[in-house]
Amino acid sequence: MPLGNLASVSRFLPELAVTATILLLVAVHVVGKNRQSSASALLSLAGVGAALLLTALQPSMPAVSLFEGMVALDGFAVFFKALTALATIVVIFMSMDSAELSGKSQAEYYVFLLSVLLGMFLLSSATDLVMLYLSLELVSIPSYLLAGYLKGRKSSNEASMKYVVYGATASGVMIYGFSLLYGLTGTTQIAEIGRALATGKAALPLFLAAVMVAVGFGYKIAAVPFHMWSPDVYEGAPTPVTAFLSVGPKAAGFAVLVRFFYTVFASPDGAGGPWTLSSPVDWTLLFAVLSAATMTVGNLVAVNQKNVKRLLAYSSIAHAGYMLMGFVLLTPAGIQAILFYLVVYLFMNLGAFYVVILVANGTRSEDISDYAGLGSRAPFAAVSLAIFLFALTGIPPFSGFIGKVYLFAEVINRGVYWLAVVAALNSVVSLYYYARIVKVMFLEEPAEKAELAVPAFPRALLCLLAVPTLLLGVYWEPVIRVAANSVRLLAF
Amino acid sequence: MESFVHSLVKAVPVLSGVPMWTLTLTAMILSAAVLLVFALTFGGVGSYVLRKVAGDIQARIGPNRVGPNGILQFLADGVKLVLKEDIIPAKADRFLFALAPYFVFVGSFAAFVVLPFGVGLIASDLNIGVYYVMAVTSLVVVGVLLAGWASNNKWALLGGMRAAAQIVSYEIPVGMALMPAVLIAGSLSLQDIVRSQGGLLGVFGWNLFHNPFTFFSFFLYFTAAQAETNQTPFDLPEAESELVSGYNVEYSGIRFGFFFLAEFGDMFVVAALATACFLGGWHIPFLHAEALPAFWGNLLSLGAFLAKAFALVLVMMWIRWTLPRLRVDQLMRMAWKYLVPLTFVNLLGVSLWLLIFKGKGIPQMIASLFG
Amino acid sequence: MEPILFILFGAIAVAGSIMVVTRKHPMASALYLILTLFAVAALFVLRQAHFLAAIQVIVYAGAVVVLFIFVIMLINVPENKLPVERLTALRFLGVAAAGLLILEGAVLARKTTMPGGTAADSGSVQAVGRALFTDYLLAFEITSVLLLAAVIGAIALAKKKI
Repeated sequence: MPLGNLASVSRFLPELAVTATILLLVAVHVVGKNRQSSASALLSLAGVGAALLLTALQPSMPAVSLFEGMVALDGFAVFFKALTALATIVVIFMSMDSAELSGKSQAEYYVFLLSVLLGMFLLSSATDLVMLYLSLELVSIPSYLLAGYLKGRKSSNEASMKYVVYGATASGVMIYGFSLLYGLTGTTQIAEIGRALATGKAALPLFLAAVMVAVGFGYKIAAVPFHMWSPDVYEGAPTPVTAFLSVGPKAAGFAVLVRFFYTVFASPDGAGGPWTLSSPVDWTLLFAVLSAATMTVGNLVAVNQKNVKRLLAYSSIAHAGYMLMGFVLLTPAGIQAILFYLVVYLFMNLGAFYVVILVANGTRSEDISDYAGLGSRAPFAAVSLAIFLFALTGIPPFSGFIGKVYLFAEVINRGVYWLAVVAALNSVVSLYYYARIVKVMFLEEPAEKAELAVPAFPRALLCLLAVPTLLLGVYWEPVIRVAANSVRLLAF
Repeated sequence: MESFVHSLVKAVPVLSGVPMWTLTLTAMILSAAVLLVFALTFGGVGSYVLRKVAGDIQARIGPNRVGPNGILQFLADGVKLVLKEDIIPAKADRFLFALAPYFVFVGSFAAFVVLPFGVGLIASDLNIGVYYVMAVTSLVVVGVLLAGWASNNKWALLGGMRAAAQIVSYEIPVGMALMPAVLIAGSLSLQDIVRSQGGLLGVFGWNLFHNPFTFFSFFLYFTAAQAETNQTPFDLPEAESELVSGYNVEYSGIRFGFFFLAEFGDMFVVAALATACFLGGWHIPFLHAEALPAFWGNLLSLGAFLAKAFALVLVMMWIRWTLPRLRVDQLMRMAWKYLVPLTFVNLLGVSLWLLIFKGKGIPQMIASLFG
Repeated sequence: MEPILFILFGAIAVAGSIMVVTRKHPMASALYLILTLFAVAALFVLRQAHFLAAIQVIVYAGAVVVLFIFVIMLINVPENKLPVERLTALRFLGVAAAGLLILEGAVLARKTTMPGGTAADSGSVQAVGRALFTDYLLAFEITSVLLLAAVIGAIALAKKKI
């Protein structure tokens, strides 16, 4: 039974904290005189920190439905809220250090960042089509603004423009799919849609609706063939924003993908067991193909990249492909593997982008050739980057390896061998381009010998990102337990 | 409309043999014709009054050649407009150029449909009356933009864009300033809004005196509406000294006549809405028009409504010839920085008032003190 | 009477939207868009959703398309300089996809029963207001955050120096 509007407020504190921070930012911005101060950054840090704390304290058991069934408060939602809030905190630190944004990272930048965060909170907990669409837009629209935040730079403008055009098309197709679902079932509650579809037989319209909805979600996680926007956007956007987009909205996209498809088109077999398709739509094969295509395209195109940001963009497409493997299996263990992989991915990807920012602060360049000799110019940054890149490749003993082990194990357990083979081949390809950067950093002679200074604070933050990347490779038990506890979706 | 036909059939039993839909259709066409004649006459006489008022304010005589005191001037003007050559500029987009005046005229005239002229005198008592007026106004915006663009003339283009920007901006305060009346009546139907202002308090039953916020609301509405209809001091779209005549500069003959009539139609609609929402509509102070026999009730209430509306039209003309014109940026600032926030605050105030005092206005409370 | 009107306005809406995508001049497209929106508003009226119809006209025809027209007028590309769009394979594919969708609509209409039995007054002011402030309250409030972010974004993008 969903809680009423007033009764829900006390379970909605993280979202309220973020909203209050957004409003405070606007107020402080209007009242404040010093536009260059880091007050807005610190304020948003405090706000997101409070939201993270409130999320951690949130009693997610037993799962409840809030606001007349608009959003759910379950372990799954809490997990993603904590994950996205953590990513946002790291990105705020990155933004404070970035030379690209220095003097430009004003209140409005943080307002957009926090709006995306609020959108991600809602996206990972939405259980109603209206709410789902609205929170997706709340993630998207400020993201467009963030991508085009450097107004003076052509590539940033281009990034924003492409993002808007692709985004609008994808969300238009998606909402058409929603309208079909609503037309077929007469309700906007996804759980009720699932129940209504379980009895119906309209396979063709339903399949088209599912494909259309998949377009919208696929766009958010940048799965092939809806990935076209992502390299240009990732390259053109300010690097902290790129880091944010490659982790936050992608994670939220996975959250909504899992929640929507599992609730609408599948039903759980008893407690903790695998799910079965409850409606005539067999979307798992569709997504398995998408998964294979996504990782293959991402890795193959990444091989030839000369710009680190663009390379990381393609690599993040590939990683979405890996994670989709867990999605198609219809098992709690598969979802658990996705959740675990997202945690690992958060640290290693944000870490890699952070090094890119630090290097760009010194060299004003993001070309791989300018990373030559980084090992001698800035050993600390170079070693950290090497750690993150090897983790992204999935080599033991780094955490990326453990993440992949969980994904592969589940795929093989369920007997989808072809997908496992494709993924393994892809990992080999990815080793080539990740290792190339490491080679350039340590084996090539730098054009310029001067040392690249990395101040103390960024060093500390790099450590904070690198330690979990390493640690989760050898001791991952607590995280996998949290992930296992978070798999339970609210089904009512 | 159907209920009117039903009562008509009841009153005149001979008609009961005629199919219902023909009666409804006839009634629709007849009421449209009546409204059209009214709008045309108002446009004609209004133009004469406007020039006379202008003459008075500027210490001139005004029109005085055709007929006694120039009273027939508007007929002469009308004949001139109809007979004049209809010129379409060579480089204009002919189709859109021809289409634009109809958009403007239809948008302005369609609003007459929901105006409550009397106890039973309303062409169609839509349950979304106020929103309907705002919706059809959007046709005017499109028409004005088209006229400016299709003329292929830079003054027309600028005038059209100014007009559209102005109407779109001022539509918000206009709508928001009308909301207090909607809140008090609990309905968007203009007839319901008028009915909610009746009672035995006379003029104090009007929404204008309901509470301080509604009092303020009336002036906000009137100001914003003055701008929405492109009247001085907000007549930038026409700004003779800058743009010659604005979006209609290339129009002549009857096409210009449509713009001209639409302008007067808008003026009346604004005055009529203000009357209906704030000045008690067709209520006659201390007289219960609804209780009178149908004929007399309708006649007297029509008189009351028109008297109030015409008085407001005169005020608009008075303002028009008294105040100087604003600059474009001043105009936009006025809408977005002053009128919009004020109307929102006002709406909040009215809502709180209704909540706290359980929907009672000040006059009602005073009246209840004396039993 | 109602089915006839429904078919009439539905046909206008469909024809108008086809014109929107096929016209060469953006101004013509914008005008056909207005026609389409009015036809859709008329469909709302036929379903007794007067409030929705009025809002549709006020918001879309009155504000959104007016902004489109504004931009078209500001850019004001002369007719002979408009980009010529060629027929590519992709375009045929698009038409094929649209055909598929129409086919699907037909299948949907024939084979499935739509549980569209909404209350007769579901489009009235009262019903919309009640839904907004009860079941969809959260969505309503979140919309305000979205709009706030969008407004700030518009200013941040458009202003040279803030």
